[in-house]
Amino acid sequence: MAKQDFSVVGRRVQRVEGYEKATGESRYIADIMLPRMLYGKIFRSPFPHARILNIDTSKAERLRGVRCVVTAEDTIKKPWGAFFADQYPLSVGKVRYVGEEVAAVAAIDRETAEEALDLIEIEWDELPAVFDAEEAMQPGAPLVHDDKERNVAMVIDVERGDIEKAFADSDVIVEDTFQSTPQWHCAIETIGSVADYSPSGKYTIYMNTQTLFNARYRIAAALGVRETDVRIIQSAVGGGFGGKSCDDNNAIVAAILSRKAGKPVKLINTREEEFLAGSRPRVFMKIYVKMGFRKNGLIRAKQTRVVADNGAYSAKAPAITGVAALRHDTCYKYSDVKTQAYLVYTNKIPTGAFRGFGNPSAEWAVEQAIDEASHELGIDPIEIARMNAAEPGYVSPHGNRVISCELKQCIDKAGELIGWKEKRANKKPSTGLGLACTVHVSGKRHFGDYDGSSATIKLNEDGKALILSGEGESGQGCYTTMCAIAAEELGVPIEDVEMSHADTDLTTFCLGAFASRLTYISGNAVRDAASKVKQQLFEQAAEMLEASAEDLVARDGKIFVRGAESKALPVADVARARLFRNGGAPIVASGKFDADSVLQDSTRYGNESGAYNYGCQAVEVEVDRETGQVKILQYAAASDCGTVINPVGAEGQVEGAVAQGIGYALIEGLRFDEGRPVNPNFSDYRIPSMRDMPPLKHAFADSYEPTGPFGAKGLGELGMDPTAAVISNAVFDAVGVRIRTLPITPEKVLHALKEKDAKK
Amino acid sequence: MKRPVTLFVNGESYDIEIEPNRLLLHALREDIGLTGTKEGCSIGVCGACSVTVGGRLVSSCLTLAVACEGKEVLTIEGLAKDGVLHPLQQAFVEYGGLQCGICTPGQIIAAKALLDEKPNPNEEEIKEWMAGNLCRCTGYYKIMESILAVMHGKIATGHAGGKPAHEAKIQSLGVYKPVSKTS
Repeated sequence: MAKQDFSVVGRRVQRVEGYEKATGESRYIADIMLPRMLYGKIFRSPFPHARILNIDTSKAERLRGVRCVVTAEDTIKKPWGAFFADQYPLSVGKVRYVGEEVAAVAAIDRETAEEALDLIEIEWDELPAVFDAEEAMQPGAPLVHDDKERNVAMVIDVERGDIEKAFADSDVIVEDTFQSTPQWHCAIETIGSVADYSPSGKYTIYMNTQTLFNARYRIAAALGVRETDVRIIQSAVGGGFGGKSCDDNNAIVAAILSRKAGKPVKLINTREEEFLAGSRPRVFMKIYVKMGFRKNGLIRAKQTRVVADNGAYSAKAPAITGVAALRHDTCYKYSDVKTQAYLVYTNKIPTGAFRGFGNPSAEWAVEQAIDEASHELGIDPIEIARMNAAEPGYVSPHGNRVISCELKQCIDKAGELIGWKEKRANKKPSTGLGLACTVHVSGKRHFGDYDGSSATIKLNEDGKALILSGEGESGQGCYTTMCAIAAEELGVPIEDVEMSHADTDLTTFCLGAFASRLTYISGNAVRDAASKVKQQLFEQAAEMLEASAEDLVARDGKIFVRGAESKALPVADVARARLFRNGGAPIVASGKFDADSVLQDSTRYGNESGAYNYGCQAVEVEVDRETGQVKILQYAAASDCGTVINPVGAEGQVEGAVAQGIGYALIEGLRFDEGRPVNPNFSDYRIPSMRDMPPLKHAFADSYEPTGPFGAKGLGELGMDPTAAVISNAVFDAVGVRIRTLPITPEKVLHALKEKDAKK
Repeated sequence: MKRPVTLFVNGESYDIEIEPNRLLLHALREDIGLTGTKEGCSIGVCGACSVTVGGRLVSSCLTLAVACEGKEVLTIEGLAKDGVLHPLQQAFVEYGGLQCGICTPGQIIAAKALLDEKPNPNEEEIKEWMAGNLCRCTGYYKIMESILAVMHGKIATGHAGGKPAHEAKIQSLGVYKPVSKTS
């Protein structure tokens, strides 16, 4: 299928839920109040590693206004988790990180609940703890989980081709080690839930989760009930970025409190709790890279060794570590690669999914190694990127099959936007240029060999369509994109399409928002449903127009015989006629889609996604040699996301991602002291403000993904994947020092400059 | 000990009984039911709880409710009149100045306080003022454009009956320049 003229797709449409958000009417989790509702509070571990000898809750229970206190005794004491079941809703016998949930209180108000926490008495036996992943792998290190030898949760060891021969064939070899950083999502809304247990056995839980059905099965597992005993209703979500994909205990504890108290319980993380034990931060990794190149700049070999910090429990870190080890081999043309990756338990907060998954760690390392090679080879980095870039038809050494790919276009466009050639030719002192490329997926096949979606569209008798989908909106603009796709397929204006809130009792199974999957995966399912609704409309209209359904066209809310627009029927008239007749029925249809991808086998060979998105970013920085401050003079991002469904939304995704990337590169990171976070608040953990944002130019490649809805692919994560490496490469170009640990602080730059001067 | 307090919010008066240490944020959200004002960091850094008291921009998470007696409090719910959005609200919707929307009430109130105090700030002044309102979704570019659009009179007001037209009207304003778009 080729490009076509669209009537809704590609138009600058505004958010379908924009009015509610601009007026404060949108109902977020903290805004939900139920009759008789109690407030919950969690008692958290003050120790990184300790045995619980005794818990006495009697004083807390006697406090006026307290309705119940719960501990592990109120749970089934079975561990749960996305990939490895290793975390409990409330600690069983032992705590493994500072902030872990030990007990919880429900009371008539927040103040009383907080007061009750102080009355819980616990006898502890502190244990030796381990905080560094590499130390944790050493013999004799304290064990976080007794059955995990050397604290290793998972190992990946993959070689494709002949790595030794490939290095022997290489003209230039670069080797280096890079460390990424624990970055938090810092959604302005923290995680929360309102659980309402009914004595019939049903838990209704309002949540600000971005993955409703995954939340449902994890919560059901932790509570020891069937999935349908749990109903998840999505509130408005104040930012997700991976942090609200239910890898934490918040909703489970709320459910346990509600059951015991017999009343609804609201449990909202404070900002500090969000840092201590809420959203699971980016998996921080130490990555050793060795790459071999031909004299002409072609990549010949790549070897990596990844040590990833899992924290005390496994959220999505197993999949994230896999991505860090393997995904980048889909960005450039590789033949011989080897990777060894270790996911290691430590006594710190569990790490997990954050926009970019494993990419922002892997690209921080690999894209800098490639930059080092370009300097050693004396070849312009933009040329190295271009000559090695993946192309349509490329199959990565691990089986990823690329259909559409406009990476070269992105490289050229990023170079053009930043003024690469001119600026390189007229280099000013202390200023430098950097660039890096990225690849991302549009959905990832890793949950039960399914990477699909489904949606139902009902066409009301007034001609307005309602999309029912369990994918949900987490702020990224999914509603608007889905409405645009349905409107395009149905031939109605976007104003005539709505999307309902996600609710696991009312919609079919959907995996939710992760892996940049919704535009591509959910978009295809919504389009399928819309096309079936259109069939029903056309059947009816064919009767009314005395024509054949094949000759009908729908456009702007009207249906007509091709070439006879003057005799068009409004969609509403057709919908009404379909319903109000003898034997009538409302128009409704369900659609589905499962990506044409292949689950990775035991050797990690497979095709993880149905489509791959590409991008290239470039930057010009100025480094102050006196202060070490890095100033971004201009930033440029070029993205290949196939057809852009809604330019306003797409630009917003890239702009927001670059902002998070800049934060990751220059300022963000939680610091720990013996496992205790020392800056768990917004004044000590800074995220970029409007003042920190540089001028940004961006562009979308002229691209069309044949398997996507109207040619579209994913985009959400792409924009933050390469940013840190882009900036670091520019710092090197500017002043000749390479920063290998994130973030790139003025202190590190100054220190590196001093070291460099000393060597002279 | 709770005491009776009369708060004057968005042109309406509310008689409530609160503890002297009750924060304005919680009085607004829980005692009055105006949940448009959001709690983000609880320490006056993120700006999600921004409201104006007597025309001055404050963090309601750092302001005692009892201290607001006799002063006019303005929250996001007080901006739209008769279903017609305030130009700043209209701009944030049209120009993509909001995504998840949790910081949006604070952003809009802060921007209004800025334009009330200084109708024609330059971009540096806008950045300086708005630096107290964090957003994790937009990267701020479209927030800046939304504010500039209002200043430059690009926002048509007077949409009656709730939701405005659907076409977004964002254009390049020098901060960012889209170069190529998929046809």
